[in-house]
Amino acid sequence: MNSSIWRTALRPLQNSQFRAPAALRHPTQTPSATPATPSTSASPFSTTATLQKRKKQGPTIDPRVTNIRYHLSHPLTPRPLHFSRTRYLRHWTIHRAWMLFLRKRRWAEERDLERQYQAMRAACEHLRCMDENGMEVPKSEAGGQGPDPGTLGPRGKEVGRLYRNAMIKRGVAGSVPVEYARAQVDFPSRDGWNHEWTRN
Amino acid sequence: MAMASMAPSMRQFSLCLRCVRQPGTANRPVNATSLRFLSTTPAVRDQVQSETPAPAQAESKDVPEYMRKWGKLDPNRVEDKRTERRLIRRDGVQPIGSRRRRAVLRRTAIRKQEEIPFEQLPYQCFQEARKVLLEDRQEKLTAIATQKLRLKNLMEQDPAVSGGQAAKDARIRSMKNHLNELIILADINDPIVKKKFEDGLGDMNKPIYRYLADQKWRKYKRLVLQQRLTQMDVVPDFLPALDPVVDIDLAFGRKGYAPGEFVDSKISEGPPRLNVQSFEPGEKLVSVVVVDGDIPDVQKDGFTYRCNFIASNIKISPTNPSIPLTQLSQEDHKIKDPAAKRVALPWEAPWANKGAPYHRLAVFVLEQPEGKPLDVQTLAKIKRYGFILRSFVDKYKLKPLGATLFRTKWDENMAGVMKRAGYGSQAKVEFKRKRVEPLPYKRRTERMR
Repeated sequence: MNSSIWRTALRPLQNSQFRAPAALRHPTQTPSATPATPSTSASPFSTTATLQKRKKQGPTIDPRVTNIRYHLSHPLTPRPLHFSRTRYLRHWTIHRAWMLFLRKRRWAEERDLERQYQAMRAACEHLRCMDENGMEVPKSEAGGQGPDPGTLGPRGKEVGRLYRNAMIKRGVAGSVPVEYARAQVDFPSRDGWNHEWTRN
Repeated sequence: MAMASMAPSMRQFSLCLRCVRQPGTANRPVNATSLRFLSTTPAVRDQVQSETPAPAQAESKDVPEYMRKWGKLDPNRVEDKRTERRLIRRDGVQPIGSRRRRAVLRRTAIRKQEEIPFEQLPYQCFQEARKVLLEDRQEKLTAIATQKLRLKNLMEQDPAVSGGQAAKDARIRSMKNHLNELIILADINDPIVKKKFEDGLGDMNKPIYRYLADQKWRKYKRLVLQQRLTQMDVVPDFLPALDPVVDIDLAFGRKGYAPGEFVDSKISEGPPRLNVQSFEPGEKLVSVVVVDGDIPDVQKDGFTYRCNFIASNIKISPTNPSIPLTQLSQEDHKIKDPAAKRVALPWEAPWANKGAPYHRLAVFVLEQPEGKPLDVQTLAKIKRYGFILRSFVDKYKLKPLGATLFRTKWDENMAGVMKRAGYGSQAKVEFKRKRVEPLPYKRRTERMR
């Protein structure tokens, strides 16, 4: 953009044969742009305010022209970043340290997620191997083997009831898993309320 | 600059340029180089640079008295506008670098301050960054120590415990890889290492510099090399496959040649100079083979191979990459014992017949198995004509490390080169295209005329 010789000249062009485009021409040169000032303004009986009169003296510069000139002499792209050797090396050092910091932080976050996942997994595994009395059964007797968590083991429904409940994916509200809808606890019992129960 | 002599429109353009470009600063006066427009006279700066040797002798005679009073002006130290201008006027030398840099240099010189070492530069963020990096390096060093201990323990372990010899070997290999990785990671963030490598001062005995050099090679030079090798069909024609692992620079005399470049026949009359940079630690024993793959075979109506050069038992290492083949053959002349020689087939100038297509001369660097020397006397019996590189590699169980190539074709010096090489009769042979008989239905007949 800068190298083009066809950029418009923005100097007053009185003595030239070169005609600038109308929009860029100085307002004094274009008769249409000059406001029709009454010749009587020099009269001592003029009613024009002094300030208003004074304003007209200097050449008024169209703000559009100023704007265009500003943008022509200021390229859109900022100048490239040039560093000296040591400055570049310092920059590089800081950059590497920052990348190292980010990497370590990401690693720590990943480990944290992994820890949480493993804790959840261990809890599910514990539920899977738990019978009705809260006792742990060997893994071979527990249900939920294979891809379907609803499969029953050799001990049937006795083992891993809470696990099967937790694994129900039906009624998932939006993207929230059903496990989060209700804390997986040991009540109400499967037999309903025991009305006969008394405290001795 | 003769502004008045310019046509009005021309003057407008130079006005435009003056508006658009930055006005002159102290370093660059307004009327200097960049504002000239459509002029054939050399730029001011160019003139200054071409004239720089001149003022030294003119200084004593033609410099007027008032200019001598300015004293000595150092282009590295001038700091303010006036001295800069004086330097340009009197000595015709442009100040070097930025004014800020010159000021720093001058002031440190005045105060006789010692230059602060790079690591101690007082920039807070930089120092904090160095702390982070040093801490990481310490971590890496402890990890290296641990890994070494683990590796040692594993080596001493009974294979039965580690699950068989194969499993143990695999584990040792992966642990060694991890150890090498850690060694690289410990040093990769060091700015001094980077600086030294960029200056070409890196010690190739150290793994980090080898790693950096390898990365640099793989980023550009190796890609170009592979492109040339495949484009010019070196890979299926000479060898079935090739994975270059060493960087080979080919040079005749002092001039280096890019892979696949045409080399003038007079220049390639003598053997080239090879620079074989290996990126793996330790010494290697290599053979160098140069094969011409485009020798015309008239009987077959095709092409055959010809071996131009074989040298064996050459030692290379990361720190000693140079293989000057000329020097090698000169040294061999002095060696009396024929078994200790290294050049099996001496260099034969590559040649091409007039009218024949260009010849590809592929240079191969082949690693000898287990660092054992080959018997040069048996190699010397190899026939040059019809040399098949594949069978050569198979027979001696060589491992191709890398290759490069150059090309040759008929030029004005070729006849002389062929004569000196003993192929004077071949120099008179000229190949011409076979006349292709037009197909019957395209043949011009009486009827058509």
